[in-house]
Amino acid sequence: MKTLLINRIRRVSIPIVITCLLLATILAGCTPAATQPAASENASTQVTTFPIIPGTPRFKIATTTSLYDTGLWNYLEPMFEKKAGVKLDIVYAGTGVALEYGRRGDVDAVVVHDPEAEAKFIAEGYGINKRSFAFNHFLIAGPAGDPAGIKDLTPEQAFKKIYEAGIAEPAKVKFVSRGDNSGTHSKEKLIWQAAGLKYEDVQKSGPWYVEAGKGMGPCLLMASEQGSYILADISTFLAFKSKVNVAPLVEKGDLFLNVYDVIEINPEKVKTAKMLPTAKAFTNWLMSDEVQDLIAGYGVAEYGRSLFNPLKGGGCTEAGCPKLEDYTVPVQ
Amino acid sequence: MHRSGLPQTGRLHRTGSIKDEVKQEIWQALVQAVDLIVSLDTEVVQISLRSLYISAASIVIAALFCVPIGSLIHFHDFRGKRAVINVIQTFYSLPTVVVGLLVFLFISRSGPLGGLELLFTPAAIIIGQVILIMPMLTGMTIGALSGVDKTIRDTALSCGAGTAQAIRAILFEARFAVVGVLILGFGRAISEVGAALMLGGNIRGYTRVLTTAISLETQRGDLVLSLALGIILIGIAMVVSVIMNILLQRY
Amino acid sequence: MAFLQTVDIEQRAGASVLLNRVNLSVEKGEIFTVIGPTGAGKTTLLRLINLLDRPSAGDIYFDGEKITGPSGNAVQVRRRMAMVFQKPAVFNSTVYENVAYPLKVRGCHGKTARSTVYNLLDTIGLGGYARRKAKTLSGGEAQRVALARAVVSKPDLLLLDEPTANLDPGTVKMIERLVMDFNRERGLTVIMSTHDMQQAQRVAGRVGVLMKGQLVQVGQPGDVFFSPDNARIAGFVGMRNLLRGNIVRNESGIAVVDVDGKDIEAVSDLPPGSTVEIYIWPEEVVLSKLASDSSARNNLHCMIRSLSSNGPLCTVIVDCGFTLEVLITDRSAVELELSQGQEMYASFKASAVRVLPSMQG
Repeated sequence: MKTLLINRIRRVSIPIVITCLLLATILAGCTPAATQPAASENASTQVTTFPIIPGTPRFKIATTTSLYDTGLWNYLEPMFEKKAGVKLDIVYAGTGVALEYGRRGDVDAVVVHDPEAEAKFIAEGYGINKRSFAFNHFLIAGPAGDPAGIKDLTPEQAFKKIYEAGIAEPAKVKFVSRGDNSGTHSKEKLIWQAAGLKYEDVQKSGPWYVEAGKGMGPCLLMASEQGSYILADISTFLAFKSKVNVAPLVEKGDLFLNVYDVIEINPEKVKTAKMLPTAKAFTNWLMSDEVQDLIAGYGVAEYGRSLFNPLKGGGCTEAGCPKLEDYTVPVQ
Repeated sequence: MHRSGLPQTGRLHRTGSIKDEVKQEIWQALVQAVDLIVSLDTEVVQISLRSLYISAASIVIAALFCVPIGSLIHFHDFRGKRAVINVIQTFYSLPTVVVGLLVFLFISRSGPLGGLELLFTPAAIIIGQVILIMPMLTGMTIGALSGVDKTIRDTALSCGAGTAQAIRAILFEARFAVVGVLILGFGRAISEVGAALMLGGNIRGYTRVLTTAISLETQRGDLVLSLALGIILIGIAMVVSVIMNILLQRY
Repeated sequence: MAFLQTVDIEQRAGASVLLNRVNLSVEKGEIFTVIGPTGAGKTTLLRLINLLDRPSAGDIYFDGEKITGPSGNAVQVRRRMAMVFQKPAVFNSTVYENVAYPLKVRGCHGKTARSTVYNLLDTIGLGGYARRKAKTLSGGEAQRVALARAVVSKPDLLLLDEPTANLDPGTVKMIERLVMDFNRERGLTVIMSTHDMQQAQRVAGRVGVLMKGQLVQVGQPGDVFFSPDNARIAGFVGMRNLLRGNIVRNESGIAVVDVDGKDIEAVSDLPPGSTVEIYIWPEEVVLSKLASDSSARNNLHCMIRSLSSNGPLCTVIVDCGFTLEVLITDRSAVELELSQGQEMYASFKASAVRVLPSMQG
């Protein structure tokens, strides 16, 4: 009978040991201190860290897909991590979803480029301490042959012409829209509005208008394949220029201004947003010389011109540019 | 991988037929896959290990629940057994996006389990994957055991086995089928995109796995790299399957 | 109370009754054979005894204790028994692991276990087979493994459900011998089921006849065989030549039965006027060319309707006014130069005729 007992213990203990090992690995959240490899520009190289037992604090931000796709964050991330001693987690989504993450407190700050949505976000109390740190422009690109004849018109005029030509000859004139409530999509709607058209009318007016529901890059690829017109931000456009067959046709216009803002999540309203001090440090850091200089040079080697423009030094002079305090005054 | 972070330039050649182009791209993908593997590219290794780890954890956790539960359901006869099995089978085709969304709502900081801070962590991906593969694992364990002759159960019992011992004997008889089920579950887990993206956030260096990396690179237009990563993913799944089968043969 | 006792066991499946108030008593150390046709309920009964199924009604007592009912500990009870099934059931592992399995589930490992298993393998004639994959064995070898596996844990009761069905005669004999050896050397009580009457005769102490879920007769094989309680049992145990008739006379134990106009003398105490069913064993009928060649009381003139040979024996169907089946050796058939249509004399003793009161009327 003793053998029976010993065997029973043996039988039960093995599964228990395995389960314990498993739980231990899952809970092992002890990450090494945030000493980043200084020389290499790679991001942090842990394979697995888990949150339940806290190690290095993790600061989460949500940004937009188009900004993320440019790869700028691959540089900014290690810089900030080293500076602040936290792990920077960046999730990306369309502007609408990014702001939703903010509302839910799943991130501690958002970096987006949709003034209207941002204003609402702040008015509702979710966001505080908005600052701007970079800007660039949108442009309208399309088939080199320019069937709708929009070259060098204003954005509103160009859109009006595309609308009319598209309804008349949908086989020749098409438009690809992001269709995903992203910053780009919001901008597009603004331009339709400025052109005197109701957006619902545009949506329903015919097969020339395609709502892709995809990110900026895939939409550019689609526009290239189908010979459509498209509204794109300059950074993604440049990044994809060699892969696609679209030419920049309309590059000047007030409406094209695209300003990148950072907004902290308000812990008063969103109880679960915890890292306000880090968020403030993050905001201020984005406005710092270090980052502004990096932004100025980003992409020059690859594309001949930088994908973004720093706000520092008053580089933004057109109508709609942020006020001085919006990009210089540090958050307290 | 991307040392500079900037998307790679100039790889689209519009000359040549479509077929040639596709062949070209596939070939380039193969070449790149081999290059990434041989050079042990840090980021790729990291992402691959993470994929492997997360999927392995998912299958182990799911199996810990599903194999015993499946065995018990198979072993005992009770009213409504058929209905239970039907329900389980219905959930085989659980859409991953739905699971991702539901889990997201739960573990979001503003959700009921928010305090655990699980969203955008590897643990969140594991949770999502476990939920996804549990119905399949349970149902197919029952299926695997059903393939074992009914006499084995009686034989084990008449040899003096208790319920747990008898279940283990049946599981042992069905071991090939059961391991097959585990491999299938692992495959489903490691090829998961929707939930992994939604719950993990594809955070570089933390929750980026092969599938989400593929999704990102596709979105950024780097189709060759996506294909290369895909090839690596298939390679990993194959290696796992081969190892499992070798182990089986020995026992 | 007997070592294994079932009390009014009933088993129902839906509307059909599989076992109907079965009261089985098996004594310690005996070999008891349950015989009956297919579907009689033999497997059902054995499964109930082994606690693999629960009876719809009734109880089973083993070694004085009730083992059915909610309070019983089925696993502990089963550990005192062992069962061998009709289809050789081996686990998909080695022969050693199969035979060692009952020891394993009882927590018995190590040297003693090993030597027990190896000795047992030698006993069943599979000495070098320990490392063989059990699935590669032939049916006979697998069933021997199953038998070894059953006795390895030294159970008190061994249940065998038609263990030699579908096996070749050599293996059948081997298994029967092993069962008898185990019974004798270890005092192992055995309950075996079979549909083969001859096997029951070879192996058993007592037999019980199970027909349509009822235990209709229990006794020594000879009793059942030669004095079946009724026509159904008689038919099952292989009696042929069932004839109906009336007793016309009875003189000091010798009754004269009128069957279809012919008189047959039989040993019986039944009075004249009784309607009876008589049986004549085919082996006990002698064929001869001349009436006077035999000294038996019954001598009937008949004509050969057909001949058929099966192995060393020959079945001859003759017409004596009624049909009679006769079993003789092939050799005799050749010596008598039997052929279809031939006229012969069929003779048999009065004691070869069994008389039972008629079931009907």
